[in-house]
Amino acid sequence: MTTAEHNGPERRDDDMVAAEYVLGVLPADERASVAQRIATEPDFARLVDAWESRLAPMAEAYQPVEPPAALKQAIDRRLFAASAPAASRPGLWSSLALWRGLAVAALLALAVYAGLTYTSLPLFQQPGQEQGGAQRLIASLAHDDTDVRYLVIYDGAKRDVALSHVAGDRPAGRDFELWTIEGDAPPVSLGVIPTGSSVHLALSEALGKAIERGAVFAITTEPLGGSPSGAPTGPVVALGDLREI
Amino acid sequence: MNVPSIPPAAFATFPRKSTTPSVQTMTPDEITRLIFRTALKERAAFDLLYRHTSAKLFGVCLRILQDRAEAEEALQEVYVKLWTRADRFAASELSPISWLVAVARNHAIDRLRARKKPARELDEATDIADPAPDPETMAVAGGERRRIDACLEELETDRAKAVRGAYLNGDSYAELAARFGVPLNTMRTWLRRSLISLRECLER
Repeated sequence: MTTAEHNGPERRDDDMVAAEYVLGVLPADERASVAQRIATEPDFARLVDAWESRLAPMAEAYQPVEPPAALKQAIDRRLFAASAPAASRPGLWSSLALWRGLAVAALLALAVYAGLTYTSLPLFQQPGQEQGGAQRLIASLAHDDTDVRYLVIYDGAKRDVALSHVAGDRPAGRDFELWTIEGDAPPVSLGVIPTGSSVHLALSEALGKAIERGAVFAITTEPLGGSPSGAPTGPVVALGDLREI
Repeated sequence: MNVPSIPPAAFATFPRKSTTPSVQTMTPDEITRLIFRTALKERAAFDLLYRHTSAKLFGVCLRILQDRAEAEEALQEVYVKLWTRADRFAASELSPISWLVAVARNHAIDRLRARKKPARELDEATDIADPAPDPETMAVAGGERRRIDACLEELETDRAKAVRGAYLNGDSYAELAARFGVPLNTMRTWLRRSLISLRECLER
């Protein structure tokens, strides 16, 4: 759009602009307007991602160089100096503990809501006691910039994901969509999260395996009915990885 | 409902699924987890992420900026960005290392373009030969690198050089045009055609 306009009559097609941006050849002003488009136009951002991924193997030629040891301290000073003088990070840890407490409460609420019978629930067994190797995993999905909190319980035996809404509302006219991400594979949608305090989603065997191998969960906001493209388009409002319970 | 009593201690901690990996054996999955935990503002994860990825990203900044002090400054800014914007990784389809390199590369190139003086005074610096990648890296992604190398070889030598120079050193259209002695628009046409051929070759 703007990039095309200020380059005269020659209409630059978006894909070429994305390629030139990734290659790095554009002057400062054009780079700035492309960066702006990446932030605001998900379809364009995907074109850029595709070029990043095509050209990425060239980056193997960058030889690692150990940065000076003082550099990490300088980064920490920039990021954390205001909040914590020395090596103390009680603020973070106590808030994490608090969140974990909240997760426990939600877990119990979820178990009750979902009407799971405790007799069939190997939740409280010691590790190694699982029947048939089926895994039961828990993830607390959260994000610092939002108040959205979900708790996820994955049941390996039933290939079921139970989602408990803990806090945070979806924006008007938007849906929450749940994704799993395994390694460098593209995010896979588990679908729009139905409204309600506790819901269940059935999983394919392949997705269940991905989760057991350590895939992480993320929630994005998407247009009503979910992402039109099958890939996340909205901001991540909560995410988390799975822990054994 | 038949609810057994549950000792609260059972919930005191959620043990992590994976144990802390050693420096040499970080898998893409493990780096992905570190990025997500960084997005959740876990400082321990951020520290580990730095330990495992800073040498690579410093290599990127150094090669593009060709100035140690500026590369150190850029690397600081890159990790500040990673701390504050790690969640963006979730919406990206890139592998974790490619995403981290893209953040560092784009930042270093933006810095290079923002310089007032001519970007590169040490012209010989741009002709650094690509050293052979270490065997470990080769084992992980050697196939992809060989593939793009083969596709670059299908281009005319000058054009392949220009593509590599732009990608690895952050050369601008203006610099490349001057170096190859062609008008800027010619260079732009060259590179666009080269990129299209490259894509066709990679998708073949």
